[in-house]
Amino acid sequence: MTLFLTALFAGLAVGSVYGLIALSYTVVFNSTAIFNIAQGDLMMAGVLTSYFCLDRWHLPEIVTLLMIIGVVEALSLVEERIAVRPFLRRPGTTLGWFIATLAFSLIIETVASIIYGQNPVVPIPAAFGNGTLVIAGVHVATKFILAFAVMIVVMIALEIFYKRSWLGTAMRGVAEDREVAALRGIDGLRISRLAFLIAGLVTALAAFVVAPIVSADVTVGLTYALKGFIALSVGGFGSLRGCVIGGLLLGVAEQMFDLYINSNYEILAGLILVLLVLAVRPTGLFGTRAVREV
Amino acid sequence: MSEIASRLGIGSRRSLRWGIPAILIILLYLAPQLGGSGSFRLGEYEEVLSFLVIAVALNIAMGYAGQYILGITAVFAAGAYGAILVAKYYPHDVGLVAMLVIGGVVGAAGGMIVGLPALRVGGFYLALVSLFAALAIPTVAQEWGFVGADTGIPLYAVLGFSPKLSGELLFVIVVTLVLLFTLFSWLLVHSRVGHRFVALHTSEQLASSIGITSYRTKLLAILISSTIAGVAGGVYVYTQQFFAPGSSSVQFAVLLLAGMVIGGTGTITGPLIGATIILGINQFFTSFQQYNGIVFGALLLGFAVFLPNGLMARVAVLSDRLGISSARVPGTRTGRHAAVPAVADGQVGGAANGKFGGARTAGTAARPAAARAPGAGPGPATPVRLPAWPPVIGADNSSPLIVDGARRSFGGVTAVDDVHLTVNRGQIHGLIGSNGSGKTTLLNLISRFYSLDAGQIRIGSYRLDDRPPYAVARAGVARTFQSPKLMLRETPVENVIPAVELRVRCLGVESVLRLPRGIRVNRQARAEALEILETLGLQRVITQEANALPHGTRRLVELARAIALRPSFVLLDEPAAGLSPAELELLTEVIQNLARSGVGVLLIEHNVPMVLSIADTVTCLHQGKRLFQGTPDELRADATVASVFLGIDEPLETPS
Repeated sequence: MTLFLTALFAGLAVGSVYGLIALSYTVVFNSTAIFNIAQGDLMMAGVLTSYFCLDRWHLPEIVTLLMIIGVVEALSLVEERIAVRPFLRRPGTTLGWFIATLAFSLIIETVASIIYGQNPVVPIPAAFGNGTLVIAGVHVATKFILAFAVMIVVMIALEIFYKRSWLGTAMRGVAEDREVAALRGIDGLRISRLAFLIAGLVTALAAFVVAPIVSADVTVGLTYALKGFIALSVGGFGSLRGCVIGGLLLGVAEQMFDLYINSNYEILAGLILVLLVLAVRPTGLFGTRAVREV
Repeated sequence: MSEIASRLGIGSRRSLRWGIPAILIILLYLAPQLGGSGSFRLGEYEEVLSFLVIAVALNIAMGYAGQYILGITAVFAAGAYGAILVAKYYPHDVGLVAMLVIGGVVGAAGGMIVGLPALRVGGFYLALVSLFAALAIPTVAQEWGFVGADTGIPLYAVLGFSPKLSGELLFVIVVTLVLLFTLFSWLLVHSRVGHRFVALHTSEQLASSIGITSYRTKLLAILISSTIAGVAGGVYVYTQQFFAPGSSSVQFAVLLLAGMVIGGTGTITGPLIGATIILGINQFFTSFQQYNGIVFGALLLGFAVFLPNGLMARVAVLSDRLGISSARVPGTRTGRHAAVPAVADGQVGGAANGKFGGARTAGTAARPAAARAPGAGPGPATPVRLPAWPPVIGADNSSPLIVDGARRSFGGVTAVDDVHLTVNRGQIHGLIGSNGSGKTTLLNLISRFYSLDAGQIRIGSYRLDDRPPYAVARAGVARTFQSPKLMLRETPVENVIPAVELRVRCLGVESVLRLPRGIRVNRQARAEALEILETLGLQRVITQEANALPHGTRRLVELARAIALRPSFVLLDEPAAGLSPAELELLTEVIQNLARSGVGVLLIEHNVPMVLSIADTVTCLHQGKRLFQGTPDELRADATVASVFLGIDEPLETPS
């Protein structure tokens, strides 16, 4: 039972990472109808920043957080400008933007690995220490709880933003029909930039809290990007709650795979999960509509 | 420009067209002589060559069918592991052919495992799920003792495995294999199967409107593609005699993609050239490898944004200007930029002397005189010779198309509310109403792009409303779209051909491999497409890309495609919008001739005079409901219609 609970809590923590990435995908997708595969490497850029600030330069946590936000937001804006905007201007059904964001992701990863150099993968100190809490008789690291809490807070904040504010409604409407949005005085390109900024903020927060969980391994950005996608498709496209549930499901499934089947093949949990969901319920658990023809 | 070429003594078009590929092929065979041979080097060449086979495979799925199975390296790895495992356990029994077959079979199975579920959602799901598989396979293999874990399987160390082929002979065989697969991909894309791929790539709605089964067609593309990628795995392990998790990675998938995009997906040679450049650099300039990601990433990004069709598309444009590109229909190509814009006013009447042209009867006399083209005098009143047009499958020949109480809501809006109408064979049924009155929604309900909330749609007693969109087309209901959906990189002929091919029974294999019946049917489809385009007066533009055609001409090409299905019913969605007076004249005639030959026409139009002049029955929709149904004369006399649309209390005309 203890083993099970430990695995469960670890799963929820790792799942929070996936959930946060899925949330940032959703923010971008809502406003641009673009799936930004570079979100995983943007997060790893943030994680790397965290490593330099905390481990190498021993900066205070709040400065670290600001640095991460600065780096991730800057990269997000650059990406929006050079890899996304050209495709928003170009009507059509190509997946050119997919290739462009993948290319951007490759560039970030390569630059990051040059900066990081040949250093071995090291754990990054946790922002608020290495304490533990006892929950249901199991020690749970505070970094796990923090990641989970941040994901929930981000989700609720986004829910409120999209439901209650005029801007949020506008941001959801733009991807549906750019022309109609323009007629109502909404500047689609400005909205797209804003979407990347908000997604960047989510990603930066994610990087800050998950850095101690994922370690300084610059090569795993694409892996996290793909797992975030699985969280998204399991939960259902367009649903914020779906992102969270999908992420947690994937995280827990991986840990259970570890515990009961074979720790070496953990990655198969995601593949099996996504293939099953697609076969049984293609719209995902909370998705109401299938993704439109792209 | 072509004078320059001939003055420079480069030679005739033909020698240039065939000369360049021939030189490239010879260079390919001679690569070991030029770049230094030795068995180690040969192995490296063969490695790149096996990657080229993957490029050919991905190009079929992605470049032509639009299915982004980016993680095709997973399929390659599956094929390679399949082949190497069999070779490991039965070293005495397997040779090159067996390993290629095993690779192909395992690859096909792997492609289906990823493709079957991912295609249910479509779009970028396939890209991401397959990339995840490309990530998962090496990760799992790393830990799995059965496949040699991290160190992989060294086949050269397996006792009893002695490849019969090696050295230069093997190299020549591998080069030949690459060329064969390239040839196959050319044959494929220029066959009825390839035509369907391109139609699907352009638009799923377009594809299903001409009876293409999109799910099965996508699966076929992935099946073909992953079989070839699996074979590439077989080639790899036979030539390298080794496979390890590091032999295929997600990063490799991205590199391959970069090469293909740079070279030009959707062209036969582009991906090969691009992949050779990128993978060659990656393979032979290892000191540079650390920075590869930046350079390749930047290239990939630049091409995706600025040159999405890749280098070979540039080359095609250049060679077009030099006049050395292939004329698809001999003697008619005038060059991409030189061609006269489409059906210019005044030429239409003269051009349209075919099946549909020239037949004016009393029924058309009511048309406003202004619609007549200057040069189009009344043609000879010969009866129009039209073949009997049976539907492909489905209802019998005389049943009407019946919409019975159709209802459909979107959110709180009921776009179509309890609409009844009947389209009889041989009659024109006009559908009018203001914007947003539900006309196009009704059309989309009939062609099953939307499903009904209530009611029935059927031909006679043959229900259409519980069938997929492609089945509606196959039951003999063709349609056009409000904004024409054409394959823009293809000529009008190639836009019409897939519709013709739906009716002509022939196996895809026969068409691809150019078996006797395949050749005959391929020719027949082209000839028939040409004939239909000529009857619409479009012979001037048949060699231009649809891209270059003006709007009105695109509408006519779309109409030709609908006619090519030889339908029982045609649904036209605002066909007259944006047409010149001459084109409108032609269109009116075509519609009337369709009806005269027994086709039932449902005509959505805002050009009310035109509708009233040719329709047998008119239905008027208002806010989703049927406001009026009757003959044009009754409509003119109807007080409700007048008050709703004109705000006046008396009818348009007093009935005479």
